Amino acid sequence: MSKLLEIEQFSMAFPGRGNLLSDVSLHVDDGEAVALVGESGSGKSLTTRAALGLFPETSRLSGSVKVSGLDTTTASGTKLLELRRNRASMIFQDPRAGINPVRTVGDFVTETLVRWRGLSRQEAEAQAVAQLEQVGLRRAKEMMRQYPHQLSGGMLQRVMIAAALLDSPELLLCDEPTTALDVTTQAGIVTLLREQQQARGMGMLFITHDLNLAGSLCDRVYVLRKGEVVEHGGSRQVFTSPQADYTRQLIAATPSIDIDKVPAVPVQDDQSPLLRVEGLCRRYTLPGGEILNALNNASFTLAKGGSLGVVGESGSGKSTLARMIVALETPDAGELEVSGRPRAHRALKAGERKLLAKDVQIVFQDPYLSLDPRIPVGKAVADVFRLHQGQTRSAALQSARELLDRVGIGPERFESKPRALSGGQRQRVAIAKALAARPKLLVLDEATSALDVSVQAQVLELVEELRDQLGLTILFVTHDLAVVSRLCSELLVLRDGVIVEQGSTAQILGAPASEYTRTLINSRPQLLWQDQPV
Amino acid sequence: MAVTDIVAAPAPSTRGTKKKLKASPVIFVIRKVATLLITLFFASLIVFFSRFILPGDPARFLLRGRSPNPAALAAITKQYGLDKPPVEQYLSWMGGILHGDWGRSLAYRQDVSEVLLARLPVTLELVALAAVFITVLGLAAGILASLNKGGWDRFILISVTAAGAIPPFVAAIALTALFSVQLGWFPSFGSGSGGLDRLWHLTLPSLALGVTYIAFMARVTRSSMNEQLTREHVEVATSRGLKPSAVVFRHVLRNAMAPILTVSGVLIAGLLVSSAIVEQTFGLAGIGGLLVQSIDRLDFSVVQAIVMIVVTAFVVANTIVDLIQPLLDPRIAAGTESR
Repeated sequence: MSKLLEIEQFSMAFPGRGNLLSDVSLHVDDGEAVALVGESGSGKSLTTRAALGLFPETSRLSGSVKVSGLDTTTASGTKLLELRRNRASMIFQDPRAGINPVRTVGDFVTETLVRWRGLSRQEAEAQAVAQLEQVGLRRAKEMMRQYPHQLSGGMLQRVMIAAALLDSPELLLCDEPTTALDVTTQAGIVTLLREQQQARGMGMLFITHDLNLAGSLCDRVYVLRKGEVVEHGGSRQVFTSPQADYTRQLIAATPSIDIDKVPAVPVQDDQSPLLRVEGLCRRYTLPGGEILNALNNASFTLAKGGSLGVVGESGSGKSTLARMIVALETPDAGELEVSGRPRAHRALKAGERKLLAKDVQIVFQDPYLSLDPRIPVGKAVADVFRLHQGQTRSAALQSARELLDRVGIGPERFESKPRALSGGQRQRVAIAKALAARPKLLVLDEATSALDVSVQAQVLELVEELRDQLGLTILFVTHDLAVVSRLCSELLVLRDGVIVEQGSTAQILGAPASEYTRTLINSRPQLLWQDQPV
Repeated sequence: MAVTDIVAAPAPSTRGTKKKLKASPVIFVIRKVATLLITLFFASLIVFFSRFILPGDPARFLLRGRSPNPAALAAITKQYGLDKPPVEQYLSWMGGILHGDWGRSLAYRQDVSEVLLARLPVTLELVALAAVFITVLGLAAGILASLNKGGWDRFILISVTAAGAIPPFVAAIALTALFSVQLGWFPSFGSGSGGLDRLWHLTLPSLALGVTYIAFMARVTRSSMNEQLTREHVEVATSRGLKPSAVVFRHVLRNAMAPILTVSGVLIAGLLVSSAIVEQTFGLAGIGGLLVQSIDRLDFSVVQAIVMIVVTAFVVANTIVDLIQPLLDPRIAAGTESR
């Protein structure tokens, strides 16, 4: 077998920022699927783009990146065009951002065929339709005239794959192609990529931050950290006997469903539940006048000190539920009681909101957006103490310092603005801000999905600790079953605004009653060397 | 194939969007045109009734310095219908406009429409030529700046910022001094006699008129292009082996058009108003100059007519921009546009 992609001692530096990649060496053979695993900032995207000669401006390169013998670091513009047109294709992370929104899907797919393969519009269209059907899209003919915003994310990613395959590349580069997609959609895309890669004998370089995903798709794995390859080898070997410390940490941090480790349901005493939801509904009227039932007739209770996971895919209504509980949305029908206080079916008044905020706090998904960029984190937390505990300025600062210390933000960070903190640190600050109100119920809305796995593990650990020590009640909204299995004793599965299954986590994960829950569980990446679940 | 099953169930949102698209364009156009008419109606109210709060009695002006003879004053007031209640005056004014009758000019003792028709073509040609310069030079400078980072970008940005600070009358004097006095390439006065001669005569005025807007257009184009250039779909297009020129034309310019177009709509009114100064400087008999004269002479019917024309041009231009936007970006038509 010949080496299709061969990267040798490749380094990339920026003036003033040092090396982003240092001495990266890796290779992909003909017909081989190789994974490149790393967290954000590890340089995995830079490495892949280098294979197509897409280098950031002002970068300084050394070493070589050869695709079928052509070194992209020194190749001329024409050679690079030839490489991109005939030899290597790339599938990007977010298909919605990657396909021009103002042109039709057909235009995107046939673009390359018409522009230099010399096909007529009809021929190109026929080929494109055939290819779209091959990647599992129905009614491809109609789709050709549609615009990207009319298709779902999963469909768009299939369009992108079809477009890449139309150029019959020898090398397929995939840059986190499923990260922006739901689990069940991800499973379909991964199967499709595997099928096509094997049927066509393409070499594939698959970038991901998810070790399980890498293990479910690729024969060999490279682990990248801060621009250096820390480990490489066969997938199974890397998984079962990792050599580098970093790989071991990564494997430990990767959440997995382990029914034995699910926290037990706390003993119910006969006091009334902290949160009671009965027949709760929320409808949205879409611009076209249609009505979308974001949440339909939801009923459940959450006892004091309990932990409830709300799981669902995008559009399932899980965030709508979380937002209603903290009164960011107003229910259309049904009852919602927090600490025995029923919620009115109107927007809350300022006083009511403040009263509710003492009981319920929320932590959002993206800590980059949920903190005010101009307020130092210490002051942000102190402000909450002053508002909700009525503390004086100095007492509040002291309390903030203690609390931040408690969540792992040292006093040296007290005066920092959010932009000086990493994603994990910001999320800790967001949690501290929520805790400063001394709430009984903490709602976490996808609070760890924007974080790297190792950071996610730390934040989960923190939440676990807080739950146990402070007796917090937790409602965790997420798409990830594994995260829930670790943190929540009870589980609620949502689909299209309807609760399809609810009960104790261990019971649902062990013996799911609903077909959909089974699909969700089975959609999680299966390692190549493990038996398929029955 | 197991893969197909997952895709088969269409997302609910997809279904909704499709249904809506069928009915949408007609409703969209009707709504825009209705907004246009309502805006014009309110504009006409303001234009007409603002006369009553301005100082000066038009009838007195007609008697020019002669000692006001109460009988003559009353006669003139009656002749021009100035004695009727304001609402009645408005209705007859509005009714006249709808029949193409804009009233009579006090100063020219002619129908306003005649006075305007003699002067409107020059202004329209001036503005049209300026618009061509703005589009061509502004777009070119903006595109050039955005595609050539470094020296060119900085050079264009600096010259464009400087040009943007030049008021039209300064530009007019400078251009005349250079191109007609020194080099003698272009005439410095008059509007010529139709055809190419007219074009030749209007070149300098339209450049003087457009210079601020060329700068403005260049900046908007540059920043809009720069924003699009960082988008992921541009990288995707490059990664598929499209030539840089094809990437720019197919995936950057088209997407960058929306803000450029919005700005163009707003420019129209500015051009019509600024034309007054340029017309004065180059001795062109256009409506800009006429507007200034008529305000001076309290010739209110002419003033009202010109202001109404400028307002209409502005509102119509912006409606056209609004109607073109969905053709450029289908997400606007679907109401799901999010930028």
